[in-house]
Amino acid sequence: MSKIEDVKAKVEIGKSKLVPGLVQEALDEGNKPEDILQAMVDSMSVVGEKFSAGEIFVPEMLIAAKAMSKGVDVLRPLLAGDGASSLGTCVIGTVAGDLHDIGKNLVAMMIESAGFTVVDLGVDVPADKFVAAIKENENVTLVACSGLLTTTMPALKEAVATIKASGLNVKVIVGGAPVTPEYAAEIGADAYAPDAGSAAVKAKEIVA
Amino acid sequence: MIIIGEKINGAIPSTAKAIAEKDADFIRNLAKIQTEAGADYIDVCASVEDSIELDTMKWLIDLVQEVTDTPIAVDSPNVHTCVEAMKYCNKPGLFNSVSLEGDKVDIAFSEIANTKWECVALLNSDKGIPKTAKDRLDVFIDLMAKVKEYHIDPSRIHIDPLIEMLCTSEEGISMVTEVIRGIKEQYPTIHVTGAVSNISFNLPARKIVNQAFAVLAMNAGMDSFILDPLNQDLMGMLFATEALLGEDDYCMEYIGAYREGIFGQKK
Repeated sequence: MSKIEDVKAKVEIGKSKLVPGLVQEALDEGNKPEDILQAMVDSMSVVGEKFSAGEIFVPEMLIAAKAMSKGVDVLRPLLAGDGASSLGTCVIGTVAGDLHDIGKNLVAMMIESAGFTVVDLGVDVPADKFVAAIKENENVTLVACSGLLTTTMPALKEAVATIKASGLNVKVIVGGAPVTPEYAAEIGADAYAPDAGSAAVKAKEIVA
Repeated sequence: MIIIGEKINGAIPSTAKAIAEKDADFIRNLAKIQTEAGADYIDVCASVEDSIELDTMKWLIDLVQEVTDTPIAVDSPNVHTCVEAMKYCNKPGLFNSVSLEGDKVDIAFSEIANTKWECVALLNSDKGIPKTAKDRLDVFIDLMAKVKEYHIDPSRIHIDPLIEMLCTSEEGISMVTEVIRGIKEQYPTIHVTGAVSNISFNLPARKIVNQAFAVLAMNAGMDSFILDPLNQDLMGMLFATEALLGEDDYCMEYIGAYREGIFGQKK
């Protein structure tokens, strides 16, 4: 197995202690940092697909993302200043009045693993704060809004409406337990994802 | 967490029958299915009369080793039988068991001292089974003096605090859990073991009592279990409890055991 294949395989099964060393070995073998990063992004799409399909569990996705992030730490000094492999920045948050953060954090992790730079605004984020974050950060291509309560669905609607009304050129993806694809379309979101794995896939699709 | 599969024991009627009839396939199968169910040791206890005990042990151990590499727990109340039976084993296993009765402990420890064998030690003495937690912990202290004398690392010792039936106890398992906690406080790396089903003798629906006991005993520090590993509900309970106690990072052991079909998936 080539080193780069080895990196892919070990990221997929979440071997965070082994991945940094393997990434270094892959570099030593002459692989480009961008290719190694891409290989890890590919593994994470496999992980995301398996999660969406119910084949693996949340902790297995978590340790895979953790393993990738350890690998990225090795690559980071070599990639700095070169945004070529980034899909841009994703601003993410749970909407006003809602304090749920576990699902939102999983989505942030998977979107980051897919190649975005992630700016996490946390929970209970008012609509105008999303807009401010789009302006403050460089190259924001995507906003991800999470709402976990039926009572905060109106806040989700307001967040999407405020972002769209700002005229800024970003895509908006929404999700959360009570949210349906129909509701997402109704409030003007560009995409809906039922789980963290598909969120990463959709995110790449809509900014492409 | 250490699982000692208890099924090859002449005290179990179906196994006794297989031993009496020299039914080799029956024994081999018990070794195989317990290994597949996640046993870390296969306990082998002949429970036959003295004159044929050692020959029976050899027959059983050979059969087990024909089908699995899982280490063996040589199990006899007769310490000499255990010492002889060790010699039939292809790899270090578990010496089950010793206690401070007579010279048992010296005979056993001098045999295992310079090996990788582990050892179950019961907390009774010449005076019988101590009635209070303090008395049992006193026996424990005497026992550990022997462990030290023979330069055996505490991590190779499995202390059996002696699980007695719940139905005649007036205070549930509080005495035993106090003993377990006392043991683990003094020697964090030592194992605490026990035959889980002892707790439920003479009660109906024993499985339920066994599971509840396992959870509470683990909470006190028990980490080694003599049980039927084919009991999926009990095995699942152990893995779940281990995760709940924060001893299973990211629930990987739990998920792994589930995937191997050790619990939660009817085959």
